[in-house]
Amino acid sequence: MQHDMSDMVMDSDSTMSMPIPMPPGMVMLPGLVGLLPPVAPFLPGGGVDPTTVPLAVPSRITPLADGDTLDLTAGLLRRVIRGNSFVMYGFNGQVPGPLIRVPQNATITVRFHNRIDLPSTVHWHGVRLDNGSDGVPGVTQDPVEPGDSFTYTVHFPDAGIYWYHPHVREDIEQAMGLYGNMLVDSPDPAYYSPANSEQALMLSDLLIHADTLIPFGLESPDFVLMGRVGNVPLVNGEPGYELHVTRGEVVRFHLTNVASSRTWNLSFGDAPMKVLASDVSRFEREARVASVVLAPAERYVIETRFDRPGRVPLLNRVQAIDHYMGEFVAHVDTLGWVTVDSAAAAPDYAAAFDSLRVNGTVSADIERFRPWFDKAPDKRITLTVATTALPLATVQFMSIDTAYFHPVEWVDGMPEMNWLSTGKQVRWILRDDDSGLENEAIDWHVKHGSVVKLRIFNDPKSFHPMQHPIHLHGQRMLVVSRDGVATANLVWKDTVLIPVGSTVDLLIDASNVGAWMLHCHIAEHLGAGMMLTMHVDG
Amino acid sequence: MQRPRHLVLAPCLLVTLLVGAGTAVSGPFDIPLLPGPKVPTAEGEARLLFASSPFGVAVTVDGRHRYDIRIALSGLPDPTSLGAYHAYVAWEVSTDLADWHRLGAVQNGTTTVGQTSRNKFLLVITAEPDSMPSDHSGPTVMHGTSPSGWLQTFMTHPMFRGISQ
Repeated sequence: MQHDMSDMVMDSDSTMSMPIPMPPGMVMLPGLVGLLPPVAPFLPGGGVDPTTVPLAVPSRITPLADGDTLDLTAGLLRRVIRGNSFVMYGFNGQVPGPLIRVPQNATITVRFHNRIDLPSTVHWHGVRLDNGSDGVPGVTQDPVEPGDSFTYTVHFPDAGIYWYHPHVREDIEQAMGLYGNMLVDSPDPAYYSPANSEQALMLSDLLIHADTLIPFGLESPDFVLMGRVGNVPLVNGEPGYELHVTRGEVVRFHLTNVASSRTWNLSFGDAPMKVLASDVSRFEREARVASVVLAPAERYVIETRFDRPGRVPLLNRVQAIDHYMGEFVAHVDTLGWVTVDSAAAAPDYAAAFDSLRVNGTVSADIERFRPWFDKAPDKRITLTVATTALPLATVQFMSIDTAYFHPVEWVDGMPEMNWLSTGKQVRWILRDDDSGLENEAIDWHVKHGSVVKLRIFNDPKSFHPMQHPIHLHGQRMLVVSRDGVATANLVWKDTVLIPVGSTVDLLIDASNVGAWMLHCHIAEHLGAGMMLTMHVDG
Repeated sequence: MQRPRHLVLAPCLLVTLLVGAGTAVSGPFDIPLLPGPKVPTAEGEARLLFASSPFGVAVTVDGRHRYDIRIALSGLPDPTSLGAYHAYVAWEVSTDLADWHRLGAVQNGTTTVGQTSRNKFLLVITAEPDSMPSDHSGPTVMHGTSPSGWLQTFMTHPMFRGISQ
């Protein structure tokens, strides 16, 4: 537990005076009224006339073959959300950015051009590519300054759904629209069970007050205690997703969570679903599920069969906490609708949908790693936080609200307190249990071809315990156990959600030489230091 | 750096009063079990473990966490010593005590019983005539509260109303 109030930072002169939307019934602590985060406000475009900025268009599928080249430009664009125009960002004028569709084992060249008003890079999330193209400033490249360009070489060794995003100020750039999918097709046409159609859905949210975006912190992120949780959920950048299907149609959804902090619990009404794959592979066995838990940066591939005509809602159903009353409250976001026509789908994949496939090749691949499942951890880290100079009322409240922490916080129950916390006051920490080193001071070295067991403990006794989606660049890993319970149905991952109080054992296939980041994918936590480097030495 | 002493005193006092002297809440998954007067020397604790799920974090469709419950007990006497009872049975009980869901038979040692997906619940162990009763009828021998039961209300807290008392 770390907290130091000796150097309280306040900024009553900040022009960041936007009211923060509060949950129904929640009152602002009197001790926080009138306070402002100690950062200057920032929004894309610096006050540019929105009418001079091109209107965003939806993502377009961009098929690329081995050896192809893509020009990818990050630029200003205008989006209209709930009738209000906002100047935001996008790749190639699209939100999400172009859906890059490539065959497995293809290598493409991407010429990135930075035309936004911040330095940037592109990180190819989940792809086991050459280290030099990983897009991490200060580790694999210098930031690409506004007006400059950088060329990436991206090789796709694994089939599945991946995504790209900046690795500079993700709390701003990603939240403002710089994200896109990469769909890597297996040469096996039966890689997934059959579907009539497929959709790529990128889920995010936006924090809006009335007709205005809540500004970001210029010098460092705000909302750092639990990340910025928006009040407008978005699917592919829009607040009202619409899809039309035929009766009995099996739709394969490639789901990606690109939100800064929010974890989703998604369902299509009571339509039956099964989960096929996650970040870097298919599951050993397909599984029937009632909903999909999707943490920031995670991907899942699911199939849903819409067997009755009518309107089916896409829902996010979670349990919020009303801290004022000390109660759980059902929280439902309707993200969109699927309209099911009465005409029957052809072909009819009902039988295939009803069966659950066993993916023997996945199990056979994983079997090679089974001898290491029970080894002692090679590395151990604890997730915690240190704070300094937070508002006194925040410190007082956090210090007495300690009797219970929900393993996963699905919504922001204390947004005003969260807003006032910045990277100047909060340092999220990955602590190496063996060396005591923290965050960027950690510099692990492991051998190429080795199998590394990493144990991560999310300390429930820190000043502000919270779940963390931990992402490892450039490698793949298995979650072999949670809280001592072995995982029954394995899948290769690059991002794993670690609830408060949980201990998770990961088995890393150190298959890719280079210097790779391991970090929390809550954008504000990353911006507040929660990252380390693991070198895979050749 | 440690927090100022007065700031940690209040919650510690509250937890001590609610849980019992000498018992600490150690995380969001731990349930200390307290003995009733019929088994004063019994000790126990339960642990909530995420139920098997492709997503690691198991939840219901409406977002309630789904847990397997593992119960570790010691010091329980033979149930026949308490009367016409032949088994100890664990129950998941709603906080208004209206809904009792049988989790399964337990004994000294560690037993993984049924699942819970309630936001808040009580965990109660009773002595029963057999190991699969349809309803509870015997005396309560041990009990505990889900960690979420310690979720505090600040409804009446002066801090929220700007009142100094």
